Amino acid sequence: MFRHNALRCTVLLLLAAAALFQALTAGYFGLEILTEILILAILVLALDIAAGFGGMVSLCHGALMGVGAYAYAILSAKAGLSPPVAMAAALALTGGCAWVIGAICARSHGIYFIMATLAFGQMAYSYVFEAPVFGGDDGLGGIARLDLSLIGVDLNDSRSFALFCLAVLGAVYGASVLILRSGLGRSLAGVMHNEQRMRALGLTVWRVKADVFGLSGMIAGLAGVLAAQHVMYISPGLLSWTVSGEALVVVILGGLGTLVGPLVGAAAFVLLKHELSALTPHWHLVVGVILIAVVMSRANGIFGWIEACWGGRAERRAAKAVRKQKTKEVLSDA
Amino acid sequence: MLETRNLDKSFGAVHVTRDVSLKLERGERRVILGPNGAGKTTLFNQLVGELTPDSGSVHLAGADVTALPVAKRARRGLSRSYQKNTLFDGLTVEENLGLAAAVHTGSATQLWSDSLAKPEVREIVEEVAEQVNLTDFLQARVSEVSYGVRRQLEVGVALATRPHVLLMDEPTSGVGPEMAKGFHDLLNNLPRDLTLLIIEHDMDLAFDVADTITVLNYGEVVFDGLPEAARGSSLLKEIYLGSWEDA
Ligand SMILES: Nc1ncnc2c1ncn2[C@@H]1O[C@H](COP(=O)(O)OP(=O)(O)O)[C@@H](O)[C@H]1O
Ligand SMILES: [Mg+2]
Repeated sequence: MFRHNALRCTVLLLLAAAALFQALTAGYFGLEILTEILILAILVLALDIAAGFGGMVSLCHGALMGVGAYAYAILSAKAGLSPPVAMAAALALTGGCAWVIGAICARSHGIYFIMATLAFGQMAYSYVFEAPVFGGDDGLGGIARLDLSLIGVDLNDSRSFALFCLAVLGAVYGASVLILRSGLGRSLAGVMHNEQRMRALGLTVWRVKADVFGLSGMIAGLAGVLAAQHVMYISPGLLSWTVSGEALVVVILGGLGTLVGPLVGAAAFVLLKHELSALTPHWHLVVGVILIAVVMSRANGIFGWIEACWGGRAERRAAKAVRKQKTKEVLSDA
Repeated sequence: MLETRNLDKSFGAVHVTRDVSLKLERGERRVILGPNGAGKTTLFNQLVGELTPDSGSVHLAGADVTALPVAKRARRGLSRSYQKNTLFDGLTVEENLGLAAAVHTGSATQLWSDSLAKPEVREIVEEVAEQVNLTDFLQARVSEVSYGVRRQLEVGVALATRPHVLLMDEPTSGVGPEMAKGFHDLLNNLPRDLTLLIIEHDMDLAFDVADTITVLNYGEVVFDGLPEAARGSSLLKEIYLGSWEDA
């Protein structure tokens, strides 16, 4: 069950401050990296809701992100819808697809759930790859960004776009907290802890899973729309299962089921990727070693480490207080 | 209120439910007795829908529910507790009760409000906590409380859906005599219109709360009647190997 605590708020504020600072001061390359982090962060928030809080470990979130991106691209560039309308339609479509996938996969668990979502993802991938309307291997270009000139913002400027993505991420984080704290989110926690009992209490478990998976897919679709607007060009690679795999790595690296952890994970992953790929073409190896270290340390990702350190500090402080108290007692006895 | 007709179930070659027909009136309190492995839990599983019988039917409030899934039967007012604790271990006692109450009040799938914060849910949580003596443990996590407290919560969660028919599978199993006495008071304080079906090993408890008694042996109903008649039954003496005289 989702609980906000002092540690979470602190880490969240630090992250927001760092991102804002970066968005306001960074040069072009820094802004590109920041935007990449922000979009990945939205995707992994979506995955954490499903996997971390609902036990639905999905290997189709990359594909859902791709569906959002392609839907936006086709509707805005080819069908001529205005960007906001195309965006809303893309989100509705991704949410709908995800709901259906969630409803169909709701009965399966563990490895079977993973494989079923993988199969749906691969279906979407090969369809987009082969259907001519999607531009096949060449992908689609000429995708427009949202027009915010009404409020005096030009999103074609990369600083404005980074700030826009940061605002969207903030809104998505808020929405995620609301979802997890809603009746639906509470029931999801119940299902995650004991599905049999929730059913015996009268809950239609598959509906809860499908609803949450649908909402999670919609958020992944939003990440896709932003990705399409960011690069202004998309290719089927976006729907590849490796994107889903990478998202899962980021969630686990950051801390499954912590919401804040995956944000840390997204920043760590993208920064590592850029730093390491400048040094060696084998950067995946290093990321792999780090992931193994995280998993083997039995902590819940980077956020788990932070939590342990924080807990350790609190304990030390408590111990110190007790020691002080004892010294006082000894002194007053004497 | 709750009825089975010619219920039959086998696991491979093991015939665990043999032609079981039961009928509970509204407000009736019936205790099921029977040795280990008699098929009592398996019967419960078929009543709530966690197992499908090979043949026969289950009726709830006059309607045939044999084909209904577990959740739908539960929403018609059928609730159960488990012989082996089936709780939300990582959550607090309050959250355990709240999740159940939320399903009952219809806020368990709402997206626009927090079910656990709703006044009608909190009211049920407080009432049930009082009923099963958990008021002092509301903020504790299930993993932190003693086995006895969990046993009380097991019944509490079942009660928090405000059922019409409550099935309890050995609520006092593994708890000391003092706590068993507590359950005994709890049962006697439940509303009189609640239909109760209890699997119970404790003879004192059984005879104290039962309006009627059913005895299962090898999946078969071997006695069905009033407690006074059960006391005299020689068949029961045989099954329980003399532990009867103490009762
Ligand atoms: N899922 C199952 N598969 C196979 N055999 C089972 C299963 N569940 C129960 N049994 C068998 O059915 C018999 C009755 O079990 P149960 O209903 O748990 O008895 P009771 O609750 O009266 O002690 C036992 O012999 C048990 O081994
Ligand atoms: Mg049993």
